[in-house]
Amino acid sequence: MNIQTSKLLLRHQLLEGAKRRISREPYRCFSCSIRHAQHQSQPPKSPQDTPGTTHFGFEKVAEALKEQRVGAVFSSVASSYDTMNDLMSLGIHRLWKDHFVRNLNPGRNPLTSLSASERGWNILDIAGGTGDIAFRMLDHASTINNDAHTRVTVADINPDMLAEGKKRALATPYARSPRLKFVEANAEKLDMIPDSSVDLYTVAFGIRNFTHKDAAIREAYRVLKPGGVFACLEFSKVNNSVFDALYKRWSFGAIPLIGQLVAGDRDSYQYLVESIERFPSQTEFRDMIQEAGFLVPGQGWEDLTGGIAAVHKGVKPI
Amino acid sequence: MAPPARLSNSIFGIFRATSFRPALLRKCRLYHSYEYSQPPPFSATASAILASAITHVPSYGFTSTALKLGAGDAGYLDVSTNLLPRGVFDLVNYHLIMQRLALKDNVQFPSASEQGTAKKLGIGAKVRTLTLARLRANEPIIHRWQEALAIMAQPSYVPTSLAELARLADEIWFLAGDTSVDTSWYTKRASLSAIYSATEIFMTQDTSKDFTETEQFLDARLEDVTRIGGFLGALGEWVDYTGHSAVNVLRSKGVRI
Ligand SMILES: C[S@@+](CC[C@H](N)C(=O)[O-])C[C@H]1O[C@@H](n2cnc3c(N)ncnc32)[C@H](O)[C@@H]1O
Repeated sequence: MNIQTSKLLLRHQLLEGAKRRISREPYRCFSCSIRHAQHQSQPPKSPQDTPGTTHFGFEKVAEALKEQRVGAVFSSVASSYDTMNDLMSLGIHRLWKDHFVRNLNPGRNPLTSLSASERGWNILDIAGGTGDIAFRMLDHASTINNDAHTRVTVADINPDMLAEGKKRALATPYARSPRLKFVEANAEKLDMIPDSSVDLYTVAFGIRNFTHKDAAIREAYRVLKPGGVFACLEFSKVNNSVFDALYKRWSFGAIPLIGQLVAGDRDSYQYLVESIERFPSQTEFRDMIQEAGFLVPGQGWEDLTGGIAAVHKGVKPI
Repeated sequence: MAPPARLSNSIFGIFRATSFRPALLRKCRLYHSYEYSQPPPFSATASAILASAITHVPSYGFTSTALKLGAGDAGYLDVSTNLLPRGVFDLVNYHLIMQRLALKDNVQFPSASEQGTAKKLGIGAKVRTLTLARLRANEPIIHRWQEALAIMAQPSYVPTSLAELARLADEIWFLAGDTSVDTSWYTKRASLSAIYSATEIFMTQDTSKDFTETEQFLDARLEDVTRIGGFLGALGEWVDYTGHSAVNVLRSKGVRI
């Protein structure tokens, strides 16, 4: 068997696997595809950024450009996303999302709700594009807490991702219910969301794409009710050095290669692994959350799978 | 009927714990009730939510429902319970810590001078009184305690639960006035931990009036240790009241001595 046929065979198997999963699983995206990042540079030596520029992976670009480029990433809604996501996390990202939602325990049990006026939670899922987190939230509220009132607003900067989410919503019981809403919005400027109106703000695999993470966290603080919770699921820093070395080798070496193989798009996946590598460490990100005024539970975060991903939370004080 | 702990309190007045602790031992035990300079184990907000949640445990158990109701009482939202990283285990742990810290106020022994010569309470008897007082603090939630035990038995919570049990044993020996630092230090704490947890489980199934069977069970376990473990012999009897009047008062209250 020559290399060409084995490549084809692998590709075939992957697509088959992906198809089977698609029928059961809603759209999942934490990988990001970009066609514009043509040349990769080495990680910048100095941590000091030139004013007006920001990171696009390890590449430095003008801030205005980043938004545009990230937009382009998510506009190319490639059919290989699901396959890639599963390959990259070995399928674990689904467990992470399940854990994320279960742990937040969304929904009010009607048996113990004290006042009838405060029914259900108002959840805002930022960068929620495909509705992946939103559907899980609504399922959990309905089946675990018997709460038929909790509602989710999915906000994303990219209309194509929102369109994909709406399409996928048709396969859920929430498609035309008032419990699910889609809005086009930049996380850094949520003007359409009133102050102190949200119980739970979630962002899963989205925040590392934001140009101004601190601005996004401040917006989260503004829209949350006192006592409301900010929760973020994101790739993070592996905390065991041996595991870290292995994972870096895997992510920097294998992932772009698989990207090339499956999607024919090596550069996009190069951007993905680099943007993960550039994201602040668990402690740095916890400090950013505290600086915005949030109280953090315990140490402030929970590592998942040895720190490949982490959940950070903050509670807005009353 | 007043539990014997309160009884001894009213009869004998107040015992002040002199805090003679060898520096080395003090270092590894940071949670003694007398060491109030230590930061509290829960933040102010978490404490507010937990303190309210505890009042819902008799009706709702150690559940996320009790936590949510507690958050509501404290002026927070359902979702604010996310401030507790370990959820219902934090509620169980809060109960354990608060009751351990409350022990020194619930049970106060008379000092040697206040006691006079006739009524000297031995360390063993004090340990018994303190253990019983701590068990009695579970009375309001005893019908929910098996739930709590199940939560504590979850693998990720076992180390913390055991550490807290060890701190309780340590606190009891300390409040009983045991200042010895010999090799029996660990054995004393280990055997008291074992006795305490066995009795605690027994108590969840005890339907006798005023938990008299739990008291009997505790005494039997303490006697076992005295009989089998010669190392504790030096402490004398667990129930060696030399003051006859005290013994008789306790007997009349149903304590088997
Ligand atoms: C990797 S996907 C994550 C999708 C989903 N939350 C999940 O976990 O599968 C990242 C999303 O972030 C969105 N995004 C990027 N920058 C954004 C911004 N500034 N404001 C809102 N959404 C943004 C993208 O459009 C994309 O849908």
